[in-house]
Amino acid sequence: MSARDAILGKLGPARPIADLTAQADALIGHAERPLLDGDTIDLFLAQLDQPSIAATHDAVDTLGDLPAAVTRYLDANVGARALYLPPDPQLLDLDWQSVTTLHSCPVDDGAVLAIARAGVAETGSLIFETAPVAPMLPNFLALHHLVVLHRAHVVRWLEDALLPAGPQPRAHYWVTGVSGTTDIEGQYVRGAHGPRFLHVILVG
Amino acid sequence: MSFAERVDAALHDPLLKTAIDRATGTAQAKRAAAIAAFPSFEPARRRAAAIKDHVIANLGAYLAAFEANAQAAGAAVHWARTADEACAIVIDICKKADAKRVARSKSMLGEEIGLPHALEAADITRVETDLAEHIIQLAHERPSHIIWPALHKTREQVADLFRASHRSPQNEDTIPAMAASARRQLREDMLSADVGISGANFLIADTGAVCTVTNEGNAELSLVPPRVHIVTAGIEKVVPSMRHATHLLRLLARSATGAALTQYTTFYAGPRRPGDREGPEEMHIVLVDNGRTRMRDEGLAEMLRCIRCGACMNHCVVFRQIGGHAYGGTYPGPMGAVLTPALDGLAGAKDLPNACTLNGKCREVCPVDIPLPTLLRGWREKSWREGLEPVTMRRGLGLWAWAAKRPALYRLGTRVAIAALRRFGRRGWIARLPLASGWTDGRDFPRPEAGSFMARYRKGER
Ligand code: SF4
Repeated sequence: MSARDAILGKLGPARPIADLTAQADALIGHAERPLLDGDTIDLFLAQLDQPSIAATHDAVDTLGDLPAAVTRYLDANVGARALYLPPDPQLLDLDWQSVTTLHSCPVDDGAVLAIARAGVAETGSLIFETAPVAPMLPNFLALHHLVVLHRAHVVRWLEDALLPAGPQPRAHYWVTGVSGTTDIEGQYVRGAHGPRFLHVILVG
Repeated sequence: MSFAERVDAALHDPLLKTAIDRATGTAQAKRAAAIAAFPSFEPARRRAAAIKDHVIANLGAYLAAFEANAQAAGAAVHWARTADEACAIVIDICKKADAKRVARSKSMLGEEIGLPHALEAADITRVETDLAEHIIQLAHERPSHIIWPALHKTREQVADLFRASHRSPQNEDTIPAMAASARRQLREDMLSADVGISGANFLIADTGAVCTVTNEGNAELSLVPPRVHIVTAGIEKVVPSMRHATHLLRLLARSATGAALTQYTTFYAGPRRPGDREGPEEMHIVLVDNGRTRMRDEGLAEMLRCIRCGACMNHCVVFRQIGGHAYGGTYPGPMGAVLTPALDGLAGAKDLPNACTLNGKCREVCPVDIPLPTLLRGWREKSWREGLEPVTMRRGLGLWAWAAKRPALYRLGTRVAIAALRRFGRRGWIARLPLASGWTDGRDFPRPEAGSFMARYRKGER
């Protein structure tokens, strides 16, 4: 007998999953959530300020203003006006004259830019999905992670940002603050393996 | 070493006590603050327990659904009855991929099945990428906590380890400098790995995705660059949907570290797709039983709710005295005392369920409301029935079991005991509980705060 058959055999006859769905839906119902009071955008920005998230933020009116905001950040925090851009036409088509765009992502220093699909007020999370135009590795390799987020894509709860069942992106990931560790004597250190700095630029 | 000897060694290690106090003290405070901001945490954890129970009751159906969806996303799904089968599957995949170097993202299941050892035996270089696991690997030790595996190590000990083994170690022995040294060292190792191995915090049945959570970002750096991604996951990790996972994630982070959410929560669905510039060419998921179906059938189904948050050990008076290594198994603390006899056999682990004051604190903080004291009591009774206990212990326990089966009498007994504890308690600690001396000798009881757990339990405050 295969291991699969042995394990499923021990678990007994399975009810069809369709029968279970209603029960599972009822169990999640209106699940309890943490307290959250106030305007969604204000709450989201307040979460970014939390020490555990430690993200900075800026705002621009349109995507066309993005290069200027990025340049501002690079001048103030990175020194070099250089940046890795994912191969996303939305970003590549902007006017990047003031910045050197890198063809490969810097490993362990420098900056990278990415578009988040959503921001979540509840937790201050940024939600990303992989696609040919949106690789994920650069967002973990660079020291500074710059994130473009449309104001209209800031939602209140994690549930508001979930993808429906069915085909998924290869990976989707929720980034809630900068990389950190408390593995040595419980002392918090920022920038364990991933980015040490997270900067959100709201558009719109 | 016997359990008694390990406990003795732990109690005589002054550094260990300081290290545990610091880490668990901070964890307790942070959890308390997080739960204060989530006033409906009580019903939330009861809901979490109900969700897990529903899945455990219908585990076959959910596993089959997960398997079908994971396969549709392009992953290969393997099944393993035992730890050895699971390791053999992983090693086989590594060999077929001609893997020389494997990057591992911390997984307790990997520890449970002995994967680090199996990789070594197969001559495959293993890079532990979680900072604490990296420390443990350099020290040739086992994890002493499921969230902070290197909890027992002081900064001085870590500094020495790094100086002896890192290519460009820290210049000064500050914790940030040491973390930076590990970052330099591990980054190169992760990016040159042939295979990335992770566990799973959740398996999402209706999408076939595998969820990992880390604070360091090491999982993503370990799993995206290599040619092959292997997941080893206990069969109890499956949840019906993303909404169910979200509910559990809220409880997991708060219970583990006091955060609203872990820094990086990632869902992987299959290997690299056409047009992708990154990602593994193969994704393999190994679903591991290793005693879980048996636990489900033999009275330990509630233990399969466990989401490995570590709160029970952070709040356990015994764990806080003796640390994780004294437990002798993969999993320490209250959850370990329940799991180890199931995984390693009761005969060798019968002392673990006895190393408990039954103060009920573990159950109170457990985000999935596992009745840990009841399950521990079950092991004690089984151990007694099977004649594994010495005569004096048998007499004390027999009386206790007799009372425990009569709830009213048991409650009265504990109330009397609490009054006695108040009277005898000094600075919150009691050296001896007169009513239950059979297994309280040599153990300290915390001074009860306000009424017994059972009294509050009946008032519906659970
Ligand atoms: S038993 Fe409960 S408290 Fe302990 S690790 Fe498991 S889920 Fe957390």
